[in-house]
Amino acid sequence: MPQKIQMRLASNRVDTSVVINRDIPAIYTPGQIISNQNEFLRGHGTYEENGQLKASVAGVREKVDILISVRPLKSRYHGKVGDVVVGRIIEVQQKRWKVNTNSILDSVLLISSVNLPGGELRRRSAEDEHMMRKYLQEGDLISAEVQSVYSDGSLSLHTRSLKYGKLGQGVLVKVFPSLIKISKTHFHNLSIGVSLILGTNGFIWICPIINNTEENVGGFVQNLEEVVPKSIRATMARIRNCILALAQSKVMLFDSSITYAYEESTKYTLAELLLPEVMADVALSTQQKLILSETE
Amino acid sequence: MLILSSEKTDNPARIERTYYLISENIRIDGREREDYRPMEIETDVVSHAFGSSRLRLANTDVLVAVKIEVDAPYPERPLEGKLEFFVDCSANATPEFEGRGGEELAVELSNCLSSAYRSEEVFNLKKLCIMKGRKCWKLYVDILLLEVGGNLFDAVSIAVKAALWNTQIPKIKSINVDGSNIDIQVCDDIFSCTKLDVTGAPLMVTVCKIGDKCIVDPNAAEEQCSVGAVVVAVSRGNICTISQTGTGSFHPDTFKSCLILGISVAQRLEDSLTETLGEIKANQDVGFLK
Amino acid sequence: MPVDHKRINAPESAVPYKLFTKLNTESLKEQYQKAIRDGIRVDGRKPSEHRKIFLKTGIVAHAKGSAYIEQGNTKVVTSVFDPREIPNRTDYCLKGEIYCEFKFAPFSCPKRRLHQQDSQEKECSAIMKKALEAVVCREEFPNFQVDVYALVLHNDGSALSAAVTAAGVALASAGIPMFDIITSSTLAIQGEHSLFDPNFREELLSEIAIEKEHGVVILCVTSTHQQISHFHQTGNLQLNTITQSIDTLHNTCKEIVPVVQKCLVKSVLSVISES
Repeated sequence: MPQKIQMRLASNRVDTSVVINRDIPAIYTPGQIISNQNEFLRGHGTYEENGQLKASVAGVREKVDILISVRPLKSRYHGKVGDVVVGRIIEVQQKRWKVNTNSILDSVLLISSVNLPGGELRRRSAEDEHMMRKYLQEGDLISAEVQSVYSDGSLSLHTRSLKYGKLGQGVLVKVFPSLIKISKTHFHNLSIGVSLILGTNGFIWICPIINNTEENVGGFVQNLEEVVPKSIRATMARIRNCILALAQSKVMLFDSSITYAYEESTKYTLAELLLPEVMADVALSTQQKLILSETE
Repeated sequence: MLILSSEKTDNPARIERTYYLISENIRIDGREREDYRPMEIETDVVSHAFGSSRLRLANTDVLVAVKIEVDAPYPERPLEGKLEFFVDCSANATPEFEGRGGEELAVELSNCLSSAYRSEEVFNLKKLCIMKGRKCWKLYVDILLLEVGGNLFDAVSIAVKAALWNTQIPKIKSINVDGSNIDIQVCDDIFSCTKLDVTGAPLMVTVCKIGDKCIVDPNAAEEQCSVGAVVVAVSRGNICTISQTGTGSFHPDTFKSCLILGISVAQRLEDSLTETLGEIKANQDVGFLK
Repeated sequence: MPVDHKRINAPESAVPYKLFTKLNTESLKEQYQKAIRDGIRVDGRKPSEHRKIFLKTGIVAHAKGSAYIEQGNTKVVTSVFDPREIPNRTDYCLKGEIYCEFKFAPFSCPKRRLHQQDSQEKECSAIMKKALEAVVCREEFPNFQVDVYALVLHNDGSALSAAVTAAGVALASAGIPMFDIITSSTLAIQGEHSLFDPNFREELLSEIAIEKEHGVVILCVTSTHQQISHFHQTGNLQLNTITQSIDTLHNTCKEIVPVVQKCLVKSVLSVISES
């Protein structure tokens, strides 16, 4: 039996904010003076004028020693070396792929920074260059690590590890990069049978857990035949909706917040998770649970 | 699919597509094939218009305003008023609409709407006639796409119906004919207006074919993966327009099952819309800027 | 409405004189009863009878492929040109595209048509494009587009169907790789009358609500795969009527296929005999 179609009036809109009696830090707007003292280092989101430091984006101030930067809520991704990212191939060029990683400029993946099939220490021949579209095509998704940052801010990626490479069957969710909490690992195998890659660039990849890692040479082998069973699909859909609920209420995303949200969501059906009030409720109870576990 | 086929960054690869292929009755966001996403609607949002509405269906955002002007009827249809649809694909919705980018989609949408509203059984234009062959009301329905996140046809048709429901037509006090001059006196009282009869106004349902299964209310990613879609415009249980988007072909049996699905979903949409519009009270807060 | 300043247009308020003739004073119902009397149509056909089709290829010398179709009085010329790179396109696309332009000649209808495409012609172009893209092997010419032009010389109903059938022939004679032969047919419904391959008057009358159920249905079918490559309907019809009309139109489309095949074979044979 299909669900009733939900149509509501805009005046009955649900408030999705989950801020619970917490101090809201000072928020700076572009042009506002942050510091008059001369003792500072100019960080991201700021500029210097007449010896004063001013904000160039709207956001909160972050201070590390004398380095002052302003972090906005919404921004494109600022890459750092060693970050795990999820990206989509947008162009195949000579000797390199262009990748969209939600950063200010397109990132590149050089053919020399991927593990080609057939062993690690292989020379890249001209044939490989001709076969590039066979390895990765426009539209393919990859997980990768930031190898270096060019002077213009664009990123160079590499996939020289078995855990990186082309992604198989799954769902991509996009959130603001600032909502991803930096942690030791961004690859998570949840006990509910779902594997997560929390890309620091705000792209999250949800897929079923793959066991046969030894077959996975360089991550260019994909299994298109395998059909994802219904129960796993349902779990993946639930995780996806939970992440979107948390992102809507601006709750930080990391493994425990997602697991908590998943636990909180089990009292609702899958279809109900798309309703705004249910999404807000899931986010709110997750937030409370997180605060509880912090204080313990 | 629909339009954004060239949107580089969001073109799901084949491997993801195989995931979207729905063998089980469960979609990426957990919906079943016949489920709709929740939507939000409001009317009377534009004060300069005679009727207006705004609809938000997940990431799709549509604003519709109705303007009324006095015009002369078409010579071949002296007894009928006029109804015209204009779709504006604002570059706000997606940078692809910049310049003439959205023109093809706009033409497709407005053609589909005008052919759906063409039949007299669906929308009676004779009510818009003021004086035979001389004067009639002309309704301009302007549709502004503020954001495009899939399932445009459905969203637009619901918003248009709500805007027409909201439309008030001024009452005519008297008509003086003096040779070729026609003088129309309109009631000063802004509250004495007539409402349009929109019970037959069609709702469009896009039935999207992914793999060998059909789904309704596709999101942007699902639209990209689909090979083709049938747009069924339904008015009072009858079909008033069928059109296809995309380039795929259908087996006749699949096609027929799409039509049956379209009619049943349109009925459910109709019920929800009537119920929601019934809840609207006069002078209530509008949420557009809330 | 943008006005074409390069040409001298007819006065905009001009109206065809036929509106003032006696025919126009009759009610629509009377007009329709005249159009079909005792199950026989004005041109002596039965409701389910299709008009005779004349098809010829190679009538535009410059084009890569062309076809001329005559379906009763309806006359359409279609031509196909060499694939060329898609203009104003920067990214790579895996499948080729088909560009269609459907145009009524200014003198083809009772009312004069302007030189610029109006919204009806744009809609017809879009329908043609979708119908043809389903039968052409588009992955054989990635990043390229094929131009297809259809010009209606005389519109006596079912012009779009005739154009689609002819465009299929033109594509085939141009040597564009295709999965299948495409044929198309139109049906005009008013109450319990279903008229196949309607002429202009029947088409016009079926678009107006005289009975509760009325409408025009266009079906484009690929012959061997038995797939609907495009379906278009307007008016107000019940589901049953539509499903029935799909079946009957499908049969009509099948009947056109031999004509198309014969025409293609003939065009090849004529080339052989010339050489």
